[in-house]
Amino acid sequence: MLIPFLNIRIIRRQNETKLSQILPVLIALFAALLFSAFLVWLAGSDVKVAFTALWEGAFGNIRQITETLNKAAPLILTGLAAAIAFRAKIWNIGAEGQLLSGAIAAYWAITTFPNLPPVLMFIVILLSSFLAGALIGLLSGYLKTKFNVDVIISTVMFNYIITFLLSMLVDTVYRDPESYYKWSPKIPDVAQFPLLLEKYRLHAGIIVAIVAAFVIYLLIEKSPRGYEIQAIGHNPTASDFKGINNAKTILFVMFISGGVAGLAGGGELAGLIHRLRVDFSPGYGFTGIIVAMLAGLNPIWIPFTALLFGALLTGSLKMQIVAGIPVALVYAIQAIVLLFVITAEFFTLYEIRRD
Amino acid sequence: MVTDIFQAAMLVSLFSAMLRIATPVIFAALGELVAERSGVMNLGVEGIMLTGAFVGFVVADKSDSYLVAVVLAIVAGGIMGLLMSFMSVSLKLNQTVVGLGLNLLASGLTFYLYRISYEIEGTMEIPRIETLQNIEVPLLSKIPFLGPIIFNQNIMTYLAILMVPLIWFVLYRTKLGLLIRGLGEYPRAVDVKGISVDRYRYIAVMFGGMMAGLGGAFLTIGYSGIFVQEISAGRGWLAIVIVIAGNWRPGRILFASLLFAMLDAFQLQIQAVGVQIPYQILLAMPYIFAILVLMGSRARSVPPGSLGEPYSRE
Repeated sequence: MLIPFLNIRIIRRQNETKLSQILPVLIALFAALLFSAFLVWLAGSDVKVAFTALWEGAFGNIRQITETLNKAAPLILTGLAAAIAFRAKIWNIGAEGQLLSGAIAAYWAITTFPNLPPVLMFIVILLSSFLAGALIGLLSGYLKTKFNVDVIISTVMFNYIITFLLSMLVDTVYRDPESYYKWSPKIPDVAQFPLLLEKYRLHAGIIVAIVAAFVIYLLIEKSPRGYEIQAIGHNPTASDFKGINNAKTILFVMFISGGVAGLAGGGELAGLIHRLRVDFSPGYGFTGIIVAMLAGLNPIWIPFTALLFGALLTGSLKMQIVAGIPVALVYAIQAIVLLFVITAEFFTLYEIRRD
Repeated sequence: MVTDIFQAAMLVSLFSAMLRIATPVIFAALGELVAERSGVMNLGVEGIMLTGAFVGFVVADKSDSYLVAVVLAIVAGGIMGLLMSFMSVSLKLNQTVVGLGLNLLASGLTFYLYRISYEIEGTMEIPRIETLQNIEVPLLSKIPFLGPIIFNQNIMTYLAILMVPLIWFVLYRTKLGLLIRGLGEYPRAVDVKGISVDRYRYIAVMFGGMMAGLGGAFLTIGYSGIFVQEISAGRGWLAIVIVIAGNWRPGRILFASLLFAMLDAFQLQIQAVGVQIPYQILLAMPYIFAILVLMGSRARSVPPGSLGEPYSRE
């Protein structure tokens, strides 16, 4: 293949080695780092100071490590949501909306049954948030199988719709009458996730997330369902011939994917934020897509890539204070990593020769 | 009598708001139409509009030349289109993922660059630019009812409406248009004739990007006068919906754009009158409507045959 306007030819690699698989990803991460350094320089700040602050802000002491873990928890879940759907080439990019609906449902459940014993409360929170996300996901799946509405578009639309719904709720029925801010009252202590360490905010959400990663791994890699999911991802026409019910698989994938994203919302509500508010999620649903892509859509790698992006989010706060770099940089870095990594994927398969 | 005049004035302002609101979406949807007709599904429209909005705003603010601002917004959109075509046409990466990547890039980058260009200077006041003036067309704007709606708009709105027949003409009455439509339906036929599939897909996608950049520039220069994070607010996605709902045809795309804009204009009117509905419901209407429209039209609309498929000879 020839790139227009340049005389460069791209041919398929004859031999794939371990090096030709890993090296491009490493180069991509390095390139993303360089680009980020350029952006910091553009802001007129010292690159070394900024990156040191970023690192220390994420891993500098126990408090910061626990905060990073807290940020990684929802990212693992939204990453898993993206991974299971993308494996089937179903483009669920509605994790953000599914997460928010999970939080709303969990809040509803907590305020409706405030007197449950702690263990039961914990289960009710997980169930309600999972189900809410799953139903929103299922709705997108249904729109696809029944009306041929593209999943990508319906999930994007639901992101907007649910964001407005949340905003409406904290403005009306769930509005905290005692506060100037548009947010709900705090959930009772009994509904808050147990803390894992004394004096730190690290909560049980990370455990929920890691268990979920293991379950999704078993589901995708070790179950007959997982085989079907991967089959429609590879070739939907062929899987149809093999007797796999594509419509049913789409509905199943969207149910699980949405549900896992919904769990992230329940976990954030019960573990960290303790109330509904408009800025409930700093885009965890979208970052989850990048977390999943960087992990090669492999559930086992997702906790690690989630930790990386959790660290970026936590560290950026210190970077803002110390080096005056707006937190917004993190979102630019995330996208740059995504673009470089998918480009790198290409170079694991092809090589370039001059004509 | 007084209420009659009042109602007529309301309708004039409603319809004229509709045209103004439709402007950016018409640009973006027509651009996306050309890209999709060439076979490339560019899901980065939202991000490209955001880029255009940002570049248009900053250049208008720093240079005071709206012409330069619009031109640079178009250039920025073209560069985003170039990135899209390089990754999806040349590298044959998944078009969905590349499009999403562009959206996230634009979202992060514009927010960051906005912050470092303005807030560091220590001003708490939101930077604001003058929006484009309306141009009253002599005589025509005096036509009762229709005159003040259609012939008292700003120059970009006129341009957007003129683009509709122009795009139609190029797509259906020129060799280039035939070629682009051929690329979307059956690229092999184009390839066999010795014409580079990739080269013309690059051109179509870059043109789409330029149009989205232009539409984005309108958001800041022509409409709000300020830049805020995510100012495109889903309009790029609505443009994609509108291309589907308009069944990949320029005229129907104009109609669909006006319909969506009407919804927006209507909710502005309702809010202005002060009807007691949570404003969030009104704001969510276009997105709910988009899903309903797709449910109704997806069964009947026919996308280009090779839409979304990278072309290779093997």
